[in-house]
Amino acid sequence: MSAFRDQTAIVGIGYTPFSKSSGVTTLTLALRAIAAALEDAGLSAKDVDGLATFRVGDSVLPMVVAQSLGIRDLRFHLDQFGGGSVSHAMVGQAALALHAGVAETIVVYRALNARSGFRMGGTGRPLVDAVETQYQAPYGYFTPPQQFAMAARAHMDRYGTKPEHLGQIAVQQRAFARDNERAMMRAPMTMSDYLAARYVVEPFRLFDCCLETDGAVALVLTRAERARDLRQTPVLIRGAAWGGGQTLYSNEIEDTNRTAAADMAPRLYAMAGVGPSDFDLAELYDCFTYSVLVQLEDYGFCKKGEGGPFVASGATARGGAMPVNTHGGFLSEGYVHGLNHVAEAVSQLRHTAGARQVPDAELALSTAQPGYVAGSTAAIVLRRDAA
Amino acid sequence: MIDELPEPMPDLDSLPFWEGLKANELRLQKCSACGALRWPARAICNRCSAFEAEWIACREDARIASWIRTHQVFAPAYRDRVPYVVVQVVLEAQADIRLIGGWQADRDPVYREAVVPRYSKRPSGTVVLDWAPREP
Repeated sequence: MSAFRDQTAIVGIGYTPFSKSSGVTTLTLALRAIAAALEDAGLSAKDVDGLATFRVGDSVLPMVVAQSLGIRDLRFHLDQFGGGSVSHAMVGQAALALHAGVAETIVVYRALNARSGFRMGGTGRPLVDAVETQYQAPYGYFTPPQQFAMAARAHMDRYGTKPEHLGQIAVQQRAFARDNERAMMRAPMTMSDYLAARYVVEPFRLFDCCLETDGAVALVLTRAERARDLRQTPVLIRGAAWGGGQTLYSNEIEDTNRTAAADMAPRLYAMAGVGPSDFDLAELYDCFTYSVLVQLEDYGFCKKGEGGPFVASGATARGGAMPVNTHGGFLSEGYVHGLNHVAEAVSQLRHTAGARQVPDAELALSTAQPGYVAGSTAAIVLRRDAA
Repeated sequence: MIDELPEPMPDLDSLPFWEGLKANELRLQKCSACGALRWPARAICNRCSAFEAEWIACREDARIASWIRTHQVFAPAYRDRVPYVVVQVVLEAQADIRLIGGWQADRDPVYREAVVPRYSKRPSGTVVLDWAPREP
């Protein structure tokens, strides 16, 4: 059994409101989310001795957050370049540091003004400072919707995946968002609404694409034995894994419909001692509908190529065998680069998700972007503490 | 006035590739040790870890792996150019090398169809790599 399993916990979650224009700096967003997360945990800024965040040149320096919190001796810090492909790696790395005894209380946060400030791809500026950009930008190909649409089209041509399959993902997630007071998009949506929306990048229509959001999410982590003395039901980190190494365009990838998550998932499951059929719910990185579809395959919930029929079966919908993105995801709740997925999983495992609660949820999977574009991925398995 | 299209930004690894396009050649690195083609251009072979390589004029035919049509304007230069098609091709020379390029045909690409390069010279003098159906 993995020595890491169930040794650390998420004990606090905090949000700012999600909006199209926060009217405040990313520093203020970060501090508000962190304050809310510490309040949720029953802790104060004086307890924090570790900070971890990730950025793509779009957020405040974490040391400015540290000085704002009055932290004089930061025992663990992590400021990683990256977006959704490293979100869940932050949680895993904080857990490693706690397990090693480097720090006692680590806050993981992400703060961004992704609508009113830096819009990824919105200016033609490349997502990351990648060597490969030079081979793509001259053709007008430089944004995430284009990169994911390219993979989605290949999946449709190879496996017969239909627009309605992608539409099912958008419609199912919207149905969850209707019961989420944080969600930016709560109006009912039908398949007809989905199909009638304009194209952004064929084959993606408007509702295949995530929202651009101003907001922040913070998580408070500590070791499991300490977690049991705090305010909330601890949510244990049962497993964490990292993957990737090849971008979509290096000559090691022969199949763009198989992501780095397919290689990573078996070792995540082995560490956690679980398999795909054990999960009560999954919060899967949904920058686009297609990224959910390909992860359902690569995390072993269905066979390769069968993601479309699998979502159409209703398995991932409200009341299904394994609901996916119970907050509405990036498509309907908002886009906080993966940490809102982790926070929602925590709420579900605490049994505090209100009308959208998955009954008796004990085990959840939450994932980062599966490895497209930046070439890296990560995921965590979370468990409600039985103690 | 139409804004300028994005220009390639070669680095010291990739410069011969872009110079090759100006000579209407698809120049890629061929590993001197194992013969594998490298993509993108880089100092080491990801198959055998050898550093040595030579630049060769590569077999240029390819197949459509995927394609998209962009409707949303993501940069000012495309305001009057949307919608436009971008293709992803895999080279017949080595099936794990996939290139992004423009599309030159008055119809949509078809999955797996055979294509050939079009070396497209811009007013700036830059040559970029577009693709077109291989005529029968």
